[in-house]
Amino acid sequence: MVIVKRKELSFWERLYLPEVFQGLSITLRAMFRKNVTRQYPEQKLEVNEVTRGQPRLAVNADDTIRCVSCGLCEAACPAYAITIDGQETDRFIEREPERFEIDMLRCILCGFCEEACPKDAILMSDELELADFSREALVYDLEKLKRPVSALQPRLDYIYKLSNRWNSSSSSS
Amino acid sequence: MMDDILPAELPLFAVWVIKAVVIFGSLISAAGITTLAERKVSAWIQYRIGPNRVGPFGLLQPLADGVKFIFKEELVPDGANRLMFRLAPMITAAPAMMCIAVIPFAGEVVIGNYNLGNLSITDLSVSVLYVGALTGLGIYGIILGGWSSNSKFSLMGAMRASAQMVSYELTLLLAILSVVLLAGSLDLRAIAESQASSAEGGIGVWNMFLQPVAFVLFIIAMFAETNRHPFDFAECEPELVGGFHTEYSSMKFALFFLGEYCAIIVMCCLVTTFFLGGYDVPFWDSAPWFIQLASFVAKAACFIFLFLWVRWTLPRFRYDQLMGLGWKVMLPLALVNVTVTGAVVSFGWSPLITPVLAVAALIPGVILFARSNPGEASLTGHALSEEGSAS
Repeated sequence: MVIVKRKELSFWERLYLPEVFQGLSITLRAMFRKNVTRQYPEQKLEVNEVTRGQPRLAVNADDTIRCVSCGLCEAACPAYAITIDGQETDRFIEREPERFEIDMLRCILCGFCEEACPKDAILMSDELELADFSREALVYDLEKLKRPVSALQPRLDYIYKLSNRWNSSSSSS
Repeated sequence: MMDDILPAELPLFAVWVIKAVVIFGSLISAAGITTLAERKVSAWIQYRIGPNRVGPFGLLQPLADGVKFIFKEELVPDGANRLMFRLAPMITAAPAMMCIAVIPFAGEVVIGNYNLGNLSITDLSVSVLYVGALTGLGIYGIILGGWSSNSKFSLMGAMRASAQMVSYELTLLLAILSVVLLAGSLDLRAIAESQASSAEGGIGVWNMFLQPVAFVLFIIAMFAETNRHPFDFAECEPELVGGFHTEYSSMKFALFFLGEYCAIIVMCCLVTTFFLGGYDVPFWDSAPWFIQLASFVAKAACFIFLFLWVRWTLPRFRYDQLMGLGWKVMLPLALVNVTVTGAVVSFGWSPLITPVLAVAALIPGVILFARSNPGEASLTGHALSEEGSAS
């Protein structure tokens, strides 16, 4: 059994009215405080390279895709959102994806694919908005996922900075 | 040119119709604006912006809400008393709206050549009785609505509301009574004018200062009477879902809502009339009617703001605290105040000493209150039978 010790009220507290006025003064002051509302569709969320948005595929400056369809991201994905079919290519890297689909309805934006990728091909972009009229439209294919690497460069620099820090701290300890 | 078309003098019937339409229309629009103000004030208190999508500053929000209500499905629960279920919202809304008929908004209205008489739908010589009777009627709608819904939550909400309104109506009417004693009239317009400095034998002091105790009691009782926070037991969401209107939807619910806001507006008009001199403009006795109207509306708007402000500040009372406050604190205070006022009036003393006497009469009560042990028998609640009985 829990015994709750109630606070003994003073005379002024038991009169109610002084406490009521105190409460009213607090809410009156709150009325003139700056509000915290973000008017979303007009006023977007501030994004930067730390933002872990939807995954996108980096495309080199010469219009070739970085992905070698190794399947590591597919294996790393905890939500089974990624589906890859590879094919041969004449380029030096020999393989590229024929089909690369991310089901955005399953994607949980965890960033494991980005960590798993050995070629820096899949990166978490700063794109956050996800809305459409059908489920099919939200399974993004290769064309919808491709982004020029220049657009993803800040994120790339950021994850290298992070891994450098981890590496240096682990070597020092 | 206009003189040719329009008659030299409007027939009395036309004047009544014009006044009724204008005042009733204003009441309904004011109720709509109050719903918007409620949401805006709640937003400001919570550091938000509030509705701002419909029209400039969200001003058309009440209209959008109304359209939404119309398109909602009308549900009548199984086992409900269909006639009463349909009748209850009307019985709630109608008395609240009818009260507006006797509120004096301003003095004589003169537009162009036309003298439309005093700005109120009608001037009853017993308008205080009329208002008292109608505010008492409002409870019928709530209890019928709660009972006819065939729902436990509704019935409990209605029972609480009726008990609460009966308890606080006494205080409310006793507070009014002390004002009536000072003014010597049951006519709202006479009461308002008795506070103006231009009144015959008047001293030009608002009843707020002559009757401070009655003023405070009236304000507290009017919160309870309109079922507003912190006394909204009729519809307290955590305990009773929605209280008496749990089963209501669509326009029937909107009518309850409208009735509640009309009651708030009427109460604000009444407190303005009783305690703030009605349409009296301080230091300007010969103010034209529209200035008087503006003065009245400004005073009433302050009280509407107080309603919203208090709603978003204070937590709800416990039910026994509510009853304790009503019967053990407010009713004795109101009785003492009426006694003191009656003595002042019957002995023919200056009304200016009423506040002094009224406050002096409270001193024994305050001493008793201070010496009482809060743990054993609080004035505003039952004693806790056993420490920590809620295990």
